Amino acid sequence: MKMFAVSHKTAFVVDHCPYMAESSRQQVECDVLTKSRAQGVIPLAPVSKSLWTCAVECSMEYCRILYDVYPTNKLVNYIVSDSEFHILNSWRQDDQSTHELMSALAAVGPPNPREDPECCSILHGLVAAVESLCKITELQHEKRIALMDTAERVANRGRIICLTNAKSDTHVRMLEDCIQETILEQNKLAAGSDRLMAIQQCELVLVHIYPQGEDTLVSDRPKKEISPLLTSEVHSVRAGRHLATKLNVLVQQHFDLASTTITNIPMKEEQHANTSANYDVELLHHRDAHLEFFKSGDLHMAGSTSRDSGLKETVTLKWCTPRTNSIELHYCTGAYRISPTDVNSRPSSCLTNFLLNGRSVLLEQPRKSGSKVISHMLSSHGGEIFLHVLNSTRSTLEDPPSISEGCGGRVTDYRITDFGEFMRENRLAPVPESSPDPSGKLPAERAKAQLERHTRYWPMIISQTTIFNMQAVVPLANLIVKETLTEEDVLTCQKTVYNLVDMERKNDPLPISTVGSRGKGPKRDEQYRIMWNELETLVKTHAGATDRHQRVLDCIVACRSKPPEEEDRKKRGRKREDKEDRTEKNGSKEADDKSWQDSERLKALDKEEQESEVIKDSPDSPEPPNKKPRLASEEVQPPEKAKGPVSLLALWTNRITAANSRKHQEFAGRVNSVNNKAELYQHLKDENGMDVHENGKAAR
Amino acid sequence: MPTVVLMDVSLSMTRPVSLDGSEEFQRKNLAVHGLTMLFEHMAANYRLEFTALVAFSSLWEHLVPFTRDYNALQEALSNLEDYDKTCVESALHGVSNIVQQEWGSSCPCQVVLVTDGSLGIGKGSLRHSLHTLKQRGDDKKFPLPFPFPAKMFIMCVANAEELQMTDAMDNLEELLRLSGGEGQIFTMEGPLCLKSVQAMFGRLIDQAYSPFHAVLHCGNLSSDVQVFPRPEPVVVDDEVEPMPRTVSTDLEIVGFIEIGDISSPPVISRHLVLPIAVNKEVDEVGTGTTDEPEEEASASQMAGKSPNFCVLLHGSLKVEGMVALVQLGPDWYGMLYSQADSKKKSNLMMSLFEPGPEPLPWLGKISHLGPISEAAENPYGEDDSKSPFPVQPQIKRSYAQNVTVWIKASGLQTDVQKILRNARKLPEKTQTFYKELNRLRKAALAFGFWELLKGVAELLERECTMLPDSAHPDAAFQLSHAAQQLKLASTGDSQYAAFDHNIAPMHTDFSS
Repeated sequence: MKMFAVSHKTAFVVDHCPYMAESSRQQVECDVLTKSRAQGVIPLAPVSKSLWTCAVECSMEYCRILYDVYPTNKLVNYIVSDSEFHILNSWRQDDQSTHELMSALAAVGPPNPREDPECCSILHGLVAAVESLCKITELQHEKRIALMDTAERVANRGRIICLTNAKSDTHVRMLEDCIQETILEQNKLAAGSDRLMAIQQCELVLVHIYPQGEDTLVSDRPKKEISPLLTSEVHSVRAGRHLATKLNVLVQQHFDLASTTITNIPMKEEQHANTSANYDVELLHHRDAHLEFFKSGDLHMAGSTSRDSGLKETVTLKWCTPRTNSIELHYCTGAYRISPTDVNSRPSSCLTNFLLNGRSVLLEQPRKSGSKVISHMLSSHGGEIFLHVLNSTRSTLEDPPSISEGCGGRVTDYRITDFGEFMRENRLAPVPESSPDPSGKLPAERAKAQLERHTRYWPMIISQTTIFNMQAVVPLANLIVKETLTEEDVLTCQKTVYNLVDMERKNDPLPISTVGSRGKGPKRDEQYRIMWNELETLVKTHAGATDRHQRVLDCIVACRSKPPEEEDRKKRGRKREDKEDRTEKNGSKEADDKSWQDSERLKALDKEEQESEVIKDSPDSPEPPNKKPRLASEEVQPPEKAKGPVSLLALWTNRITAANSRKHQEFAGRVNSVNNKAELYQHLKDENGMDVHENGKAAR
Repeated sequence: MPTVVLMDVSLSMTRPVSLDGSEEFQRKNLAVHGLTMLFEHMAANYRLEFTALVAFSSLWEHLVPFTRDYNALQEALSNLEDYDKTCVESALHGVSNIVQQEWGSSCPCQVVLVTDGSLGIGKGSLRHSLHTLKQRGDDKKFPLPFPFPAKMFIMCVANAEELQMTDAMDNLEELLRLSGGEGQIFTMEGPLCLKSVQAMFGRLIDQAYSPFHAVLHCGNLSSDVQVFPRPEPVVVDDEVEPMPRTVSTDLEIVGFIEIGDISSPPVISRHLVLPIAVNKEVDEVGTGTTDEPEEEASASQMAGKSPNFCVLLHGSLKVEGMVALVQLGPDWYGMLYSQADSKKKSNLMMSLFEPGPEPLPWLGKISHLGPISEAAENPYGEDDSKSPFPVQPQIKRSYAQNVTVWIKASGLQTDVQKILRNARKLPEKTQTFYKELNRLRKAALAFGFWELLKGVAELLERECTMLPDSAHPDAAFQLSHAAQQLKLASTGDSQYAAFDHNIAPMHTDFSS
């Protein structure tokens, strides 16, 4: 259905003239006496609805179905006509609900039988309906603005459903002529207005209502063209259930609906809780849900059996007991909102409540061949029930190559769990349209920006990373990707860094991958160098974001272990002193480098950590004046300074390694190695008498 | 999108092509040469396409059922025999049956009709078929348009000029129009020779069988991918937006959603997302028949060993039970997820949603989905115990809000009985009694059904007189109060008949 088809605008015009106050002569017994109480009680006389009541309740039912299936963009304008017209609502989306209409109808009340019939006419309402069709709707306005230079693509079509009691066929013709004239007049007016649009197509559906037991004075007439702008059809219907059936058929025609009857619904009986009887429930929905059936001709129409719905055809689908779970992702080619035909009946409400409670039901299509095919699923989402169409034919994507056979398929150490965590952090949630938008970006754009930040440094496999395999880095890694950092975040990051320094001092092992390296892999201090480099890489990608991000980088650069070097230590020593003396001789830059010469670097770092803790704990204390220059000077240092006196740590490590090596037998490979390289599978060479190196493959 | 190749094997296809001196060719040879080229291309670059081969003259024969085995197609092609006259209509019937049997009627298909443009004579000729189009009963309907969405490519082993001399071109154009207009007629340019037939099939390949390559982005992570089958352009509403929308070659992930939250959404098509090696021109799917198998193998081994984002994404989506929401263009979205087939194989799949800002009502507008980090409180809860989805509509649907419908007498009777049942259990059921009473009152006022209000008032008065001696004194008070209020409402007096007014229980105090 096109966006601006006739169905976009429906004007209901309901006759409110004195004649409509007449009884429909269809009586309803509302005093149903139970046998035990029947004695001596005179039952209440049956009540009967007026023509007006019949018209109103059937039009409300039309709207109920319409709003259930199309909550937006299929609009109703309800007009009541007597000695003048009363417009009960507008095209605005907010006005589109049965509650709104019922409230307005209650204010109108039933027709006054004593009003002068000469003053009253349905014409007032019909003219108002044409005027109303010229009024632009929110959607038309929005699209006209969006399309700009092609705004003429926004069409203005509409339908008028007139519920009245006409006097004769001539009367009907007079009404048609009058509408035709009004359209022409209004179109002229609309040409000169911004808020009005000329009517391009109008469908008049005139429903003549007459009481039961009377003969109709107006004959049925199928749709005919009055003019290129106007078509008209006439339905002559008895009030009561005939009218209800007629409007039910009309709403299906007007909005491309079709009917499905769910059969074999097991339901507990109220009286006998242990037994369950099977019920049927009829649902209306967009007819595309039956598309596959129509095309394949495999249509099992229940025919016109549907109890009192006359000509109506319905497709029967069977309730399937093995229910589906919500974790399964079905291949679904369409989902259509439903509306139960008999919304208040017990079977209907049992089914809808069952679905509204979050359960889904698979439906089976009975086929001529007798084979079972699951073709549909009923499921509710947010209080709305949808009929999902499931694909039941062969897939053209069957038997595809597995992902493990393609690019990257042979890699086994993907950070699957970490990426899972990443996905959880980058889940989406609806943001109210009214919520403020500081960056001027839509929420989805902000979500993409977050993904960009989170992936600036994101190694895909475990063996490519050290820091993401370390619990100790997690707090920093989680914080640094944020768009802005709080002071507290910076402190947490700094703490993480100090913690790493501490680990390095204690010589804690690092989860460095040994893939691709022989023996134990790199030495511990090399491991730490790798780790610091990686951490620096991560933080550098964010350092430009804010000053606080930069401070985290500064902290890392300041703290990361550099191989000890004389001058470096001198500098550090001086600064330590500076800081220690700060309180007494603040500002004095020249200090002698006495004892620091001999102290080891790690001790200094330890000291720095303590100092920083002090700063951390009292954020109000002044920034050390010489901090910045120091950092700057350190940054320009060449990163690699491998030479220098052996540190105590190195001495100690070597000693321990030597001691340990005596406690076990050395690997044969290492013993026989040449230049620390051992040849593997030597026995193959011996056995085959072939040089394995020659074919170049086994050597690895 | 499966392909049916419909090959004309009528006698006219054996007409020789006049060439200067060299080997003599029939038009059939040229057609076979072109199709061979097409099959070779598909084997290399479009390997997952299912193709069937049908030969036709006055009868049709399903030579090769839908397969990915291009050698089988090739072989069938080389064993074609020559038959009598061309009858396009019956052949199209055959195609229609074959496709529906295999794929149902919703799967889009491509039909490649290879002919020489001489479309039969007399009854059964295309001219005759088209002439009699309007004089047919339901049982003898022309097979076009097919019940399934189809694109028809007509490959003429003939020049355009040759076809225009007769009415062949007009008839073919009419055929294309009947098929739904999606497709094209290809003719040969220049002399009929191997080179020009290659050029013609080359144009078909560019038009319909070139693989769709894109880059999948997730922030700074990305992977080159082939999307199979090619996503087709989509027209949502040809009146408002006649230009078809096409899927962008940059597929940008917006964020992630749990499978339970996206809950089996309707999609317009499904596609495999296959990672491809960047440096290679031909894509990964088409390994198999290549000139240098050894080099090829090592190249694909290399590709297999270098980490690829698609594999990482697929693995995590599978483990976490999530989908990635991906943007395909302006206001057009889809989802990426792991799809497993029965044999332990699984794959990264992409489904396309209907174009538009709000394809799934239960997610709301996609552009208004934002990162959870922005929310003051994690919408999924600290322990993942809740979810911000589904988004609730502003107005409840009729079946979720206890509406009143009295179209059937039973509906009205049930509502009246409900009131009477509660009336007999006053004062315990005071709340329910008034709730039901007010519901009935509202509906009666809206429907202008004042007679009912009077009737129910009388019923309540009668109940009052029939109260047993043991009844609580409050019952009588409430019943007569309710009856009186209904009577007042039935006068239409604005003071008592306001829609939003509710009858409140009478305040009584029997405690003392």
